[in-house]
Amino acid sequence: MYYLGIDIGSLSCDAVLIDEKKQILSSSVIPTGAKNQEAIERVCNEVLMKKNISKDQIKAIVSTGYGRERVTDRLSSVTEITCHAKGIHALIPEAQVLIDIGGQDSKAIRLNNRGKVQDFAMNDKCAAGTGRFLEAMARALQVDIEELSMMDNGATELITISSMCTVFAESEVVSLIANGTAVNEIVNGLNRSISSRTIGLVKRVAPDIDGLSIAMSGGVAHNKGVVKALSKVLNTDIQIPEKPDTVGALGAALIALERS
Amino acid sequence: MIKEYFDNLIQGIENSLNENSKKISPRKAYALELARFGSRLYSENERIAWCGLTVPFDLLSAMNITSCFVEFVGAMLSSMGSVSDFIKEAEMEGFPGDLCSYHRSIIGATKKDFMPKPDFLIGTSCPCSGGLAVMENLASHFKKDFFVLNIPQSDSKEHVKYLADQIKYMVKFIAEHTGEPMDKEKLQQAILYTNEAREIMAEVYQLAQSVPSPTNSQLLANIGIAYALLLGTPAAVNIAKIYRDDFVQKVKSNTSGAQKERIRLLWIQNRIQFKNNLINMMEQEYNAVIVADELNDITWEPIDPDDPFTSMALRSISIPFNGKGQRRIDHLIDMAKRYKIHGAINPCNWGCRQGTGMRGIIEQSLKKIGVPVLNLEVDCIDSTNFSEGQIKTRIQAFLEMIEERL
Repeated sequence: MYYLGIDIGSLSCDAVLIDEKKQILSSSVIPTGAKNQEAIERVCNEVLMKKNISKDQIKAIVSTGYGRERVTDRLSSVTEITCHAKGIHALIPEAQVLIDIGGQDSKAIRLNNRGKVQDFAMNDKCAAGTGRFLEAMARALQVDIEELSMMDNGATELITISSMCTVFAESEVVSLIANGTAVNEIVNGLNRSISSRTIGLVKRVAPDIDGLSIAMSGGVAHNKGVVKALSKVLNTDIQIPEKPDTVGALGAALIALERS
Repeated sequence: MIKEYFDNLIQGIENSLNENSKKISPRKAYALELARFGSRLYSENERIAWCGLTVPFDLLSAMNITSCFVEFVGAMLSSMGSVSDFIKEAEMEGFPGDLCSYHRSIIGATKKDFMPKPDFLIGTSCPCSGGLAVMENLASHFKKDFFVLNIPQSDSKEHVKYLADQIKYMVKFIAEHTGEPMDKEKLQQAILYTNEAREIMAEVYQLAQSVPSPTNSQLLANIGIAYALLLGTPAAVNIAKIYRDDFVQKVKSNTSGAQKERIRLLWIQNRIQFKNNLINMMEQEYNAVIVADELNDITWEPIDPDDPFTSMALRSISIPFNGKGQRRIDHLIDMAKRYKIHGAINPCNWGCRQGTGMRGIIEQSLKKIGVPVLNLEVDCIDSTNFSEGQIKTRIQAFLEMIEERL
């Protein structure tokens, strides 16, 4: 029998399929779009088709993410905080602090040595420092999100983006462009802005951060510039799993296995 | 409109009591008395005093004054689901959006003529200066006299005397405005009611500490704040007795006030006043019950009939929000231990310096005794920016974390 975890985020919908031995068989990430029910169905079909497995071979589904209650045939729904902790512990067992930056949330999670959530802190009701923030900035710079992650090479940390608000930061970026500021400097400023906001969350759950093993999950973990800025402030390497955006879905699949 | 609202509420509860012969639930008894109080407040037949939260309401009641703290109106408008128009009105008057919504709604209600005209106002310097400023605004709007009780921060002999003397002056101030001096017999009767209610409510809170608790997340919600309005009256005693009888029965039969109790929570400061599904979700999906509210506690000794002003001064000084922050922290730690709390939720009411200013220290202090704290960012009055999904995720994650610890 197989177990499925589905993470319905604001930007992407992710699924991970595992077997009874907790082996990852397949995973899939698609944009959530405006109709999350359709995205759920599509991501499920994708992940099953990759291994030629039918729906009736799935013993249990656990859903997570902001749309977790939209999955109709779930065994249960679990928050993304618990699922990300579970997922990262399976992939990087030594992780003590997890930074997860998704589409509309950023979180810092402190894990105990069994991979359970010991404490967590989330951003308040504001998109600053999240995937949505980066999307808005990429739009202002007229580049796509993948390009943005590579664009701070050679920057000299000349620019500081002082606005935390996404809307104000976007107009700040537009002004910098108008002033002829080099794009790599602007992107570097944005990355440092995100890292400074995230560090605030990290320090709340791990005031004793020195020497702790830190990992990162969520779509923003693909952004090399943000990871570099975070590593620099934390003065340590950040471990990133091969597919950081599917960590929540993996955690959900593992919970499905445990609970069924 | 508001008088009608209270009258309909009274009618509704009384009708349901007539139709249903079983005994009245404690919360309904409390709601009925508050509705009767609200109806009197808006009746235009009573002498009204708008007050601060730590005014001796029993003393005013003994002097035939219907007195109410101004924040009551904000909470009422929010629970009626009609607060946003009043808040907009305050914003149009130039009050910023990051001001406490309790106070913004009061300003809006005043401008829209929804606040009964007072005979005078009595403010208190505790728990917040924002409330005092709003009352000054009201005094100016209604062109009425404003008396301020300056609540000292400690209960030293000099401080207590200082406040007791102010209360004496307050009595004189009231008598000058009503033309009626204080009737000592009435005051003695009010003190008897207050002390009896105090003793029974202390029992109620003691019973609520049982495991499982006879309360659920709603039965005692916010009671510690508005119950003070009924002190000095038989209603306060009656309500306390109904709670005590209900709780004694439940504790004897080892019955939880909720469907099932697994996680025991402490709610810090005031509740979210507008309708939402969070409490139901917590109880139904996680068996998580708010068994204690920070503001539900008796922190004062009985009122001495021979020296009431000194006792009343001590009572006003005793609230945990007064004085050094450590006092509030010590009180929270004590409550967490007494109620065997697994976790605490602080809504961090938007715009409230009491609610947000100390959140970090409270969080760290409770963590030290093994009680995790969830800090939300909620406006407890204005639902305009309320995103239930986001708050729900934080609460659910918090409860999942606690479940793993049990």
